[in-house]
Amino acid sequence: MAARWAVSAGSAWVRGLLGWVRPERWLASGSLFPLSCIHTSTSLQKLGKWEKKNRIVYPPQLPGEPRRPAEIYHCRRDIKYSKDKMWYLAKLIKGMSIDQALAQLEFNDKKGAKVIKEVLLEAQEMAVRNHNVEFKSNLHIAESTTGRGRYVKRIRYHGKGMFGIMKIVRCHYFVKLVEGPPPPPEPRRTGFDQAKEYVQQLRSRTLVNTL
Amino acid sequence: MAAAMKAGLGRLGLRVRWQTASVLRPAGAAPACLVVPVRTKKRFSVPEWARELSPEEKEKRLKSSGAVFPDQRIERTFYLACTADIIDPYVPPEGDARLTSLSKDGLKQKMEKLKQTAASQLALRKVKDHDPDFSTKTFPEKAQEIFIEAHNCLANFNKQKLHSLVTERCYPEMVRGNRYKTIRWSFVESLEPPRVVHVRCDSIMNRGNLYGQVTVRMHTRQILAIYDRFGRLMYGGEQVPKDVLEYVVFERYLVNPYGTWRMHGKIVPEWAPPKDPIVKTVMIPGPTLDPSQEYEETK
Repeated sequence: MAARWAVSAGSAWVRGLLGWVRPERWLASGSLFPLSCIHTSTSLQKLGKWEKKNRIVYPPQLPGEPRRPAEIYHCRRDIKYSKDKMWYLAKLIKGMSIDQALAQLEFNDKKGAKVIKEVLLEAQEMAVRNHNVEFKSNLHIAESTTGRGRYVKRIRYHGKGMFGIMKIVRCHYFVKLVEGPPPPPEPRRTGFDQAKEYVQQLRSRTLVNTL
Repeated sequence: MAAAMKAGLGRLGLRVRWQTASVLRPAGAAPACLVVPVRTKKRFSVPEWARELSPEEKEKRLKSSGAVFPDQRIERTFYLACTADIIDPYVPPEGDARLTSLSKDGLKQKMEKLKQTAASQLALRKVKDHDPDFSTKTFPEKAQEIFIEAHNCLANFNKQKLHSLVTERCYPEMVRGNRYKTIRWSFVESLEPPRVVHVRCDSIMNRGNLYGQVTVRMHTRQILAIYDRFGRLMYGGEQVPKDVLEYVVFERYLVNPYGTWRMHGKIVPEWAPPKDPIVKTVMIPGPTLDPSQEYEETK
């Protein structure tokens, strides 16, 4: 009967109405929801292009081919130093053998020298351990460059209520070590060479559009 | 009766429209409108009389009301697909495969059958209970196939297939350090037919959670060459076949009806000949010296 249905619904509703008043229910266990999804591994930050260069795998060499020299790429990101000042140090060690570079950096007074030395030692360690380099002194620096890091702007307070916006400057440092002795430096271009080239140019002139 | 009903409903404050019985809509039918009781926002404030109760009183009230709270246990289920180690490892006899079958000792070794060890027989019976197709005569062939397949997958870096052929305990042992290397492996031939030498059956965690391990002795000829990241030969050679005597352990989760026999590990005896050295020279760090000391003095 509809009447009975209404009453039963009503009484149930009444019970439900008074049901939430019970305080013991709220004072139950402290945990709110079951942790069915616990991520146990951390996600690494996005890798830059230079780091990914260490991942290329070359196909096995045939017995007749000359032995391919090992190349190790290493970098350090967000060094608190200016990229222009770091460039001088990078240019200094470009083309040196690793021992010579480490010696030069050890006795250099700049702040970046200490950082680059650490980077080179890390790269040397990596080369011997992971990349099958036999002799740790048999490496030379093929490329060494700097790059601009992430800059942050801050306020610099001056007198009389004036202010300036200063940049907190960071840089990246990239290095590529190659196995083998360093390549011999290119001989300087003397006046004699220039004269020879000039004479060669004069001699190679021809007459065009003629018989 | 209808009037009394109506009065009662009015007291409760329900807003139900009472339909008059008609031909088209008989009285027994459900009402036309669906009523949703509107109520104020639930505020979780504890009344004064409830706050003073001790925990025991609260428990009593909970029990009396008859409410059942589900256990909120933070559980992360895990599934053990393989054991962590080789159970009761097989101790290979000294000089196995060195003695020829013509000498007396060689013959004794050959005649050494699986039936001699009682524990192996017990375990074999347990394994046959769960897997009726298992037989010590046919299993070695399958085991060798699994072995060859697994090594081919390792050479081709087919990780999915490798996981199905090799247990989780064996996988990192096989794969570690190989990510940026090229491996070339090939199976030339089998010098002796493989045979089962050892069977063990064990349960971990709970009783009845059975894992079966079978050790197969394989004497084979293989070619292995490992190239590093730049394609230079690190170990072995492609034209150099090597004779290898191995004791390979295969495992299966017996209680699981869909379990398969997978490679679990290898047993390396102490009397095994040393492996070939690698091509590279490795520096062993010497003693750390003070600036004032010389190395020759410390020797």
